[in-house]
Amino acid sequence: MDPLNQAEARHDGRNIDPDIGLLAAEGSTQKARDATVHPARATYEEIAAAAREEEGTSYYGLPVLCEPVWNWMIPAYFFTGGLAGACAVLGGAVQAMGGRGTDLVRRCRLVAAGGSIVSAGLLIADLGRPSRFVNMLRVFRPSSPMNMGTWVLSGFGACSAASILPEVLAVRRGGRAGRLLATRRRSPRWIALAADRAGYGAAAFGLPLVGYTGVLLANTAVPVWQQTRHTLPVLFAFSGAVSAGALFDVWPPRRGSGIAHRFGLLARGAEVAASAALDREASTVPRVARPLRHGVSGAMLNTARAMLVGSLLSEILPLPRRAKRIASGTLALVGTALLRFGIVQAGRASARDPHATFEMQRAGRGAGEVVRRGDEPGAGMPALHGVGATGEESVQHGATP
Amino acid sequence: MPELRQMGFFTDTTLCIGCKACEVACKQWNQLPDDGFSFTGMSYDNTGHLGASTWRHVAFVERETPLPGQGSPRDGAQAGAGAFAELRPLGQPPPTSLLGGNIAPSHIESPVPLGPTARALSKFSWLMMSDVCKHCERAGCLEACPTGAIMRTEFGSVYVQPDVCNGCGYCVSACPFGVIDRREDDGRAWKCTLCYDRLKGGMVPACAQACPTASIQFGEIDDLRARAAERVTQLRSRGVEDAYLYGESAASQPGTEGLHAFFLLADKPETYNLPPDPVVPTTKIVKSWGAMAAGVLSLAALALAAAAAPSRTRWTL
Repeated sequence: MDPLNQAEARHDGRNIDPDIGLLAAEGSTQKARDATVHPARATYEEIAAAAREEEGTSYYGLPVLCEPVWNWMIPAYFFTGGLAGACAVLGGAVQAMGGRGTDLVRRCRLVAAGGSIVSAGLLIADLGRPSRFVNMLRVFRPSSPMNMGTWVLSGFGACSAASILPEVLAVRRGGRAGRLLATRRRSPRWIALAADRAGYGAAAFGLPLVGYTGVLLANTAVPVWQQTRHTLPVLFAFSGAVSAGALFDVWPPRRGSGIAHRFGLLARGAEVAASAALDREASTVPRVARPLRHGVSGAMLNTARAMLVGSLLSEILPLPRRAKRIASGTLALVGTALLRFGIVQAGRASARDPHATFEMQRAGRGAGEVVRRGDEPGAGMPALHGVGATGEESVQHGATP
Repeated sequence: MPELRQMGFFTDTTLCIGCKACEVACKQWNQLPDDGFSFTGMSYDNTGHLGASTWRHVAFVERETPLPGQGSPRDGAQAGAGAFAELRPLGQPPPTSLLGGNIAPSHIESPVPLGPTARALSKFSWLMMSDVCKHCERAGCLEACPTGAIMRTEFGSVYVQPDVCNGCGYCVSACPFGVIDRREDDGRAWKCTLCYDRLKGGMVPACAQACPTASIQFGEIDDLRARAAERVTQLRSRGVEDAYLYGESAASQPGTEGLHAFFLLADKPETYNLPPDPVVPTTKIVKSWGAMAAGVLSLAALALAAAAAPSRTRWTL
C-alpha cells in the first residue's frame, strides 16, 4: 500500500483519533468493519444497467425503498413454521375426531415441537443482534405482525413441547431415543391428559402460526407484498397445510396415513386456488405483478407452481401407491419451500424496482385506497401510541392536537 | 415534564445548491462511519440513497426543462426577474447568488452567437434536494417495530433506541420512503434522529445549522408550514408554477398523516425519488388479518374433514 493511502487507511470509517476526539455521539456506537455494507444488494452498475431499459420518471432508476435485509433463514422459517403449525392443526383435528394416541397424532406433535425449535433458531440467527432476541417479548404490539408472531411462536413452542411430554418421559425412563416414535409405554394418566390438552393448545396457536407470515410480508412498503395482502396469508396457510400432508406421504405413520394424505390433497386444491387468486390480486397493477412471473423470482414461483400441479398429477400415475405418495410428497414439500423463497425473492425484486412503487401509487393503490374507504385519513386502523424507553406506552405519538 | 413542542424540517429544494454541507455536518456531529466510497456516475450524487450511516443525502437531478430564475448570463437563460432574484425570506440568511438579482436584460445578451453547448444549457435546469428521514406523523417503522425500540420523542420526531434494537430488519421493509436501514456489520437499524441530542440541549440540528442557503429550515412545525405556504406563493408569482409542498399536512399526505420533515418541490415526487402517494402499511393491515383468519379457519375445517372420513378408511388406507 502506498504511504498516502496507508495514512488514510480506514479504521472504523470515522478516522477520529481516540486521543484527540471523544466518540460519544448518537452514531458513535455504530460498528463499521466493512465498506461493502450490503453485498447482496444491487450495485450502482447493476441499477444503471437496469435503468437503461426502464421507462417513466425515476431518479436514475435507483430504488425508492430499501431492499429487505433478511437472508435465506426467513423464507426457511416461513416453511418450517408453516409445516410445524399445520402439523399441530392436523394433530389437533385427528385428536378431536377420536384418533388420540395414534401414530399420526404423535408424529404431528413431534414435528410441531421440533419445527418450533428450528423456527426459533432460524429467527434468532437472522437477527442483527441475536443476543437481544428476548427484546421481542418486551412489548405486546398488535400493530406489528412480527411482534404478534413472536408471541404466537412462543405459545406454540410451549404447547407443542408440553404435548410431547409422554414421549420424552418414555425416553428418560430408559427407552431408546430411536424408539421415540414407537413407544408404547403408558405414561401416568395425568401426563397423557396434560399432553392432550397441550396438543389442542398447539393446534390453536398453530392456526395463526401458519398464516401470520403472510400478514407479516403484507405489512410492508414492498409493492408486491402490500398489493397481495388479502391472498398472501391464505396462500401461506394452505401451503403450510400442503407441506404437512406431504410430509406424512413421504414418512407415513402406521395408522392414519390416509387422513394426512386426504388433508394434503384438499390443501393442494386450496393452494392452487389461492395461488390463482394471488396472481389476480397482484395483476391489478401489471408492474407490481411482474416479479411473480419474470426474473429469478418468477422462475422460482413458476417451478413451485409446476411442482404443486405435478404432485397432484402424480396421483393418477399408474404406479404402486407407495411410490406415488413418495413422488407426490417430495414434489409438494420442495414446491412449498420454493414458494416461500420465491415470494421473498419477488419482494426483493419489487423493492428494487422504483416503477413498481410509483405505478402502484399512481394507480390509486397507495394511500388513495385507505382514504377512499374511510372518510378520515388513516381510518383503516387507529394509530397506536408509541412505546417509551421502559416499554410503557407514551402519550406523545400522533401528538399534533 | 419536557415541553411538548412539535419540531421539524422544512426543506426548500429551490434554495439548495448541492454543497452537501448537510451530509458532512450530519456525519461529523453524529460521528457516523463512512459507507464506502463508490462512484455512481449519477450527476454529482455519489451518496445514492439514505442508509444506516447516511442520514442526509443530496439528490442531483439534471433536467432538460428550464426553471425560471436558474441559469447564468453566459448561457443565455433568463435572469434578473427570476424566482431567485431576491431571496431574503423570512429572517433567513441571504442566499448566495451569482446574479445578485439585479442584472438588467441588456447585460445578459451574449456578445457572440451562442454555440451548441450554450444553447443546450439554456434548456437545462438543476434540481437538488437534501433528503432526510421524514419523521412521519404516523410512522411505518415505529408501528412495525416488534421490540418497541423505535419511539416518538417529545419533539414529535421518531427515534431508534440503539440499546434496544435487535436488528430484526422489519422497519427497513416497513418504511414507505426507504429511509431506515440496517448496517450489516453493526446489526442494528439506524436513521436520522432529528439530532435528538442537540434538541435536548436547545440547539438546531447539525444539517440545518450548516446549510448555507436556508434550504434546510428547522423550527416548530406550525411555523414552518406557514413559512412554506408563503414561499410557494412567492415562487408561483415569480413563474415557478410547479412549486408545491410535499407532505406538509395530513390533508396533502394522508398515508403518513403528514411529515415532520416536509419539502418544497418543483417537479413530480418521482423525479426526486420520493413516492407520490406513500402509505404506512399498517393502515391497510386489518383486512389482511381478516383474510388470514378466514384462511386458517378453512384450514382447520379441512383438517377436521380429513380426520372425520368414513370409518372404512378411517385408520387404515
